[in-house]
Amino acid sequence: MNNELLKQQIIEALNLEDLTPEDINDDAPLFGEGLGLDSIDALELFMLLDKQYGIKLQNKEEGKQVFRSVNTMAEYIEQHRTK
Amino acid sequence: MNFGNKLLYSTSSTALNFIIADNIITPLAYGTENNLQAVLAGQSSLHKYDNRFTPAAPFCASMFNDITCIDGYTCFESQCIKAIQGLEPKFEESILSSSDTIFIISTTKGNIDKLQDILHNEQPEYYQNLNLNTSARKIAAFFGNAAPPIVVSNACISGVCAIITAQRLLETKRYRNAIVVGADMLSLFIVSGFQSFKALSPQPCRPFDAARTGLNLGEAAAAFCITSDNKYSNKSLGTIVAASIHNDANHISGPSRTGEGSYLCLKDVLPNNKTDIAFLNVHGTATAYNDEMEAIAICRAGLQDVPINALKGYYGHTLGAAGLLETIISLHALRQGLILPTKGYNEQGTTNQINISNQLRHTDKQQFVKLLSGFGGCNAAIRIITTKEQESGKHQKNTTPNISVEGNIDITPDNVVLNNKEIHVTAHGEQMLTELYRSHINDYPKFFKMDTLSRLGFIASELLLQSAKNKNIRPDKDCAVIFANASSCIKNDTDYQRTISDAKNYYPSPALFVYTLPNIVTGEIAIRNKYYGETSFYILEKEEQLTPIVKAAMANSNIHEALVGWLECKTADNFEAHLKLIKKNEYE
Repeated sequence: MNNELLKQQIIEALNLEDLTPEDINDDAPLFGEGLGLDSIDALELFMLLDKQYGIKLQNKEEGKQVFRSVNTMAEYIEQHRTK
Repeated sequence: MNFGNKLLYSTSSTALNFIIADNIITPLAYGTENNLQAVLAGQSSLHKYDNRFTPAAPFCASMFNDITCIDGYTCFESQCIKAIQGLEPKFEESILSSSDTIFIISTTKGNIDKLQDILHNEQPEYYQNLNLNTSARKIAAFFGNAAPPIVVSNACISGVCAIITAQRLLETKRYRNAIVVGADMLSLFIVSGFQSFKALSPQPCRPFDAARTGLNLGEAAAAFCITSDNKYSNKSLGTIVAASIHNDANHISGPSRTGEGSYLCLKDVLPNNKTDIAFLNVHGTATAYNDEMEAIAICRAGLQDVPINALKGYYGHTLGAAGLLETIISLHALRQGLILPTKGYNEQGTTNQINISNQLRHTDKQQFVKLLSGFGGCNAAIRIITTKEQESGKHQKNTTPNISVEGNIDITPDNVVLNNKEIHVTAHGEQMLTELYRSHINDYPKFFKMDTLSRLGFIASELLLQSAKNKNIRPDKDCAVIFANASSCIKNDTDYQRTISDAKNYYPSPALFVYTLPNIVTGEIAIRNKYYGETSFYILEKEEQLTPIVKAAMANSNIHEALVGWLECKTADNFEAHLKLIKKNEYE
């Protein structure tokens, strides 16, 4: 899983206009202080996983685990992607 | 919009209002009394639908089995018309066609099911079918009323806002009667959007219960007739004695963790003696966050011992009809001395303890409060009394406000004029808005998440407020944002529809869906400026129709400052904003 590609996809999906992939640390929390993401962003990340990787997360709790950082997302995608 | 220096009317006393007839149409029953009996029998119209709106996943909702649409009218229009036709008890028909009567229509998405046809076949007549002003005109004209109607589109609080708008226009004696009707029909558009928000429960919903898992959507239409004509005082079913709208100024879709807006609304409408309230009928959508937020607001307002109920377990969330439907059922229950059970509730599931029950309770009190909240961070409450004796209303004003204009801005795709001075721009259309953001603001990255309508409103409000910094404009709980346009969210509706139109490429976007509510822009501005005051959005044929609405709002509320005006966005290159910053100066 290419973290840079994933970061680019996150930036586009969430309209993080002022950010570049270099601004996002692989291990930094995506929510909370970090990027200032909110609950709608989390829902858009569900959609991103479905659209780009064919992964359908079941519930918000599962999302919380997967969306902790770019690294946790990349790991999950690697293991569960269907496309 | 021309406010002049004084209000056009010089009423120092406000008019009383009387609800004289009402009607409810739901999948459960036709008519208010039949609906009340069905609810008392514990019936629910919530059912599971497996393939109703493919490719949407199966869902649980309250839907009409088969609707007979009136020839030449959409389903939405037909349901509104039927709700008005069935108003009971019967009253003089001349009220309907009178020039003293205003039609006020409450809906979140109206004819949105027609948008699919537009994308397939770009014919102008399809746009006509979608437009809410066209619908409102057809509904009013069906009853021989020629006055331009008002459409309230304020997300899930629309129904209560429509009631409040009617009450204010009657109190300022702008009109003598109002026909208020609310309806929404379900479609792939709405169901997919709520699914993308992961807000829907696959089972019948359980408001305030520990095991609640989300809301159910519902179809309904509800209407009432309200008059200030004293000759109807003996026929009054109830009188609206207090009303309030507040924003959380917190988030466009997430309820406030402190229940701020709902708390402020409750505080505004409560009587001096809280124990005079028979019950509080709340929103109670059965989502984790909504019910938690409402319980917090209820306790903050000191209403933890007042009986609470919610009706979503019978009808689901009926969107633009909810405020009217739930108010009417509550009113008729109270007239029979009843506090309806909260169907689906079993075990308290909120951190704050409130007085809620799944059992029928009795009361000899004569007033209740209706509370709602919705996307865009908006909240609304009204208090209704069923007795003939009126209290000396704490919200009746003894002064007539003078409204002054503190600044104005006009934006078109190539031109920006702030306080009559042009601002130099080089880009065009949506790019011009980005240019203005970069050159004048640049500290609010959320701007890039907004749809074009919200970007337009955000830029206009920022420039206007920057220019007024030295004019003692104080953002606080009584600063309001009241906008209107003619096309609702047509640009963003189309963008969202594209994410669901192709079954093979079906990825409904929650970030686009939330902006399909026109009032979201008012929430964005409230959040940015910490405005906890009223936020409202109207769909009107012409800009000048907003003036009496704003004047009535200023005269009959605590609002002391407001951003008001016209905010239209048809495409990325076709938009206009005409906003004003106004201030209320009270005098004897």
